[in-house]
Amino acid sequence: MNYVPGTASLIDDIDKKHLVLLRDGRTLIGYLRSIDQFANLVFHQTVERIHVGKKFGDIPRGIFIVRGENVVLLGEIDVDKPCDTLLQQVSIEEILEEQRLQQQAKQETEKVKMQVLKDRGLSIPKADNLDEY
Amino acid sequence: MSCLVSTFLSLCPLSHRLSSLLSLQSLDEDCTLEEEDEGLIEEEDEIDQFNDDTFGAGAIDDDWQEEHKRLAELDEKDGLGAGLGLGGESDLGGAEDSSSIHPPLPSSLPPLKFTPSSAGLPPPDVEDRGGEGDLAESLARLILEADPAIAGVGAAERPVPSPGSSGSCLSALQGLDRPRVLPKSSSISHPTQPHQHPHHPQHQLPPGPSTSGLPGPPSSSMLSYQQQQHLLRRGTAPMGQMNSHSIWENSMGFGPVSVTPGLVTHMEDSPLMSIIKEVGLPKRPPQGRSDEGQDLSERVPPPRSSSPVIGSPPVRAVPIGTPPKQPMSHALNHQIHHPMAVHVRAPVQHRYPPPFPERLSPNTLLNIANSPLCRGPFPPGVGPVLSQIQRAQLLNTQVAGFPRGGPVPPLLPGGGGFRPFFGGPPPPHAHRMGPPPPHGAPNHTPPIRHNTTHLHPQHRRLLTQRMQNRGGDRGRTGGDRRSRDPYSNLMTQKEKEWVTKIQMMQLQSTDPYLDDYYYQNYYEKMEKRQERERDSSKKEHTTKLITPQVAKVEHSYRPVQFAGSLGKLTVSSVNNPRKMIDAVVTSRTDDEEKREKQVWNKRRQILYTVEKMYSLLLEVQDFEKRFVHAPEEDREALLEQHKTNTVQLCNSLREKEWDDRVSDEQCVMIMSVRKGKRLISRLLPLLPSPQAAAVVLAIARNLPALAKKDKQDQVLCWLVEPVSAVIQSLSSSTLTDLLQELQGNEGQLATVLHNKFGVTLLYLILSEGERMQSSDPNCQLMDDNRWTELVFSVTRELLSVPSSSLSPPLFTPPNLLSLLSRYVDRQRMELLQDKLQISALSR
Repeated sequence: MNYVPGTASLIDDIDKKHLVLLRDGRTLIGYLRSIDQFANLVFHQTVERIHVGKKFGDIPRGIFIVRGENVVLLGEIDVDKPCDTLLQQVSIEEILEEQRLQQQAKQETEKVKMQVLKDRGLSIPKADNLDEY
Repeated sequence: MSCLVSTFLSLCPLSHRLSSLLSLQSLDEDCTLEEEDEGLIEEEDEIDQFNDDTFGAGAIDDDWQEEHKRLAELDEKDGLGAGLGLGGESDLGGAEDSSSIHPPLPSSLPPLKFTPSSAGLPPPDVEDRGGEGDLAESLARLILEADPAIAGVGAAERPVPSPGSSGSCLSALQGLDRPRVLPKSSSISHPTQPHQHPHHPQHQLPPGPSTSGLPGPPSSSMLSYQQQQHLLRRGTAPMGQMNSHSIWENSMGFGPVSVTPGLVTHMEDSPLMSIIKEVGLPKRPPQGRSDEGQDLSERVPPPRSSSPVIGSPPVRAVPIGTPPKQPMSHALNHQIHHPMAVHVRAPVQHRYPPPFPERLSPNTLLNIANSPLCRGPFPPGVGPVLSQIQRAQLLNTQVAGFPRGGPVPPLLPGGGGFRPFFGGPPPPHAHRMGPPPPHGAPNHTPPIRHNTTHLHPQHRRLLTQRMQNRGGDRGRTGGDRRSRDPYSNLMTQKEKEWVTKIQMMQLQSTDPYLDDYYYQNYYEKMEKRQERERDSSKKEHTTKLITPQVAKVEHSYRPVQFAGSLGKLTVSSVNNPRKMIDAVVTSRTDDEEKREKQVWNKRRQILYTVEKMYSLLLEVQDFEKRFVHAPEEDREALLEQHKTNTVQLCNSLREKEWDDRVSDEQCVMIMSVRKGKRLISRLLPLLPSPQAAAVVLAIARNLPALAKKDKQDQVLCWLVEPVSAVIQSLSSSTLTDLLQELQGNEGQLATVLHNKFGVTLLYLILSEGERMQSSDPNCQLMDDNRWTELVFSVTRELLSVPSSSLSPPLFTPPNLLSLLSRYVDRQRMELLQDKLQISALSR
């Protein structure tokens, strides 16, 4: 199959439901409404989906405009396909709490790791936030 | 009083001047008329001069008096007079009059929402006059019949300066009264002085509307002295000072006019007010309202809605990025309707057929609403000026056929013709009934379709095929969902095409080979591989980027030549001369070059040579492509150039110009750098076979040296492929020579065997020899003792060399074993086989 160059190939995907992963790790799901040559995206009826373990929660976000450079990956969601039951949807509050816990745990591990390294006279450069992006 | 009047008359020129001054100076400038009175007559000439200065010579001198008289006569003639008397001296005044009268109306009758533009239109004026004429007449009669004291009261009321609102709001009434009343009042008050008539109307202008008389000199000339006095005094003088003019005020200001200021607000308890209340007012307002109401409904909306700015459907010309009008209309719908409004809109967006090729904007809807078709449904109860919301409400009921309670009639008379534009019945049913729209109207065809002119025909076919497939899919499965989506197609086809175009533009190129070398080569390779795969598996699953196929532009584009351009004149330096740099193009002689070369160290020289050869090589390599692309007439020249290039390339391998042989030193020198080795590997296939053989011989001869230098680079292996090609084309004698060279003098073969490339080269030679022998039994090689001897010595060397110092070859030719079996016995053969790790399987 052939494709048109650049973001023009996204035109076929307009008005379909998409999942986009942003550079900051957020996951958005919404209907792709508009694009441009920079792959700036306009999402409609967007939800931000947070996955923690086997649970996930959706936070309604409405219209979301994504600057193209922040897109890590973008893909269509098959609406007709029944979603698998592996994951369990929970309320927003719950998922936020879960996320908080997860981040806390991560930070703890990080701290321990740093401490251990420090004890051995090693120092890794302070985990820059930029690395995550 | 008469003397006063005469004074006034004599002052008239001044009044002109004053009025003109007034227009220039601020109102509250302090100059009292009393002071000026004394010097006035003496100054008259001077004043005339001023007037001349202001209005031009002769502009005023006699005119004003004559005009006044003439108009006064007119007034009397006309009787009921159609308001001309008020117009004063000119038509212009009349025009101004009407406009000055009407603006206040809105404030006095707020619910009517008179817009200035509509007020300026003739029809209401006439009607107003008619309606108010009655009122004015009745008022005038009342006043005349009533006790003169009434007039006094009214006059007393009047001097109260009515700045701003009250005055202006009442002026409406007053202005309307004037036409009828003035002649009468003036004829009564001054029966013996007809020449004064002209002034009366002006006198009776209330302070309020005087603002309208002020602005321009011509119109201000309408102002009477009296008024100006008023104006002058109003700012500074307290009420008491006005007493000297009280007679004037009373007599002149007598009549209904005086009633008007403060009519509603200030005169609640005056007898006149009560009269008005009884007779005039109750009748008038409703009358006027209804009249004007009808007027408005007739006149106002159409111009507004059909104005090019608002009424035209803007969606059509939406530039990229402009938010489509939909959201707004949605908001409207949400406001008006219930939550279901979203679904109401859906069909509207999707399915208008041709007559409304784009989405309907609310404005277009409005247009339709205003069209004669819909004129009917406007219910009489609804105000003539519909708010947008009301309009939308009406529309929605019509469009979507929503059952609605209330006064709105459900359907319009012309509904039959109107409805199809909107897709008729409410959406949910619409989806089930009727054929599902093939994803929108024709205008919403899938992207790229329209933009395929520049695409490869094959690709275009593919695209359309894909579109059709998808269209089918939609019709079956996703169609329902998608077309129900009210927000789909927010990006118009135009916008989509725009994006595609921009992306295509980036790939557009007149000379793709030059602009996008790597992409082109990559695809060449891909295509070749694809072909191979297709042969085997008959499958095409590779993707291909669509690139714009630009028709080759005829004009040949010459890229900017930077070489040697430093000293050249640029346009900017011609326009803006400035010495930027001292650049002198010098052509160096060979001597200089040679001397310079000697200065260079050897490595740099080598690199220089290699560079030069590379550029030649690239030219030669490009020849084929360029030859194909070049037009017929250029091919000859290209061919010539190709030949010279090739010759030059060969020459560069020679050390001396006159020496025809490939120089060993040169070869070794070139191959001493990594680049050079790669160069040779690329060069070999392009060289004519004698040269190529010479190069290979030189390589074989100097292999130990080359191998030593190649330890770090490990690039010699690149030579295997081209060298093997050369070897396969060698004659038997040359092959023998090659083997001889490779063996060289004592001890060379050992070093050769230590090198990967050396071993491989040896194998290649042997394999080629074997191929020759086996393919042609009468081969020269068999008769050649030299070959046999060489092979013997090679096998001996192979047997003697320790396996640790024997480098594994890049590959082992399968026929090596058969060759060796010719020259060694079984025992040694096994040994060799073991050593060289030639498995029998490889045979």
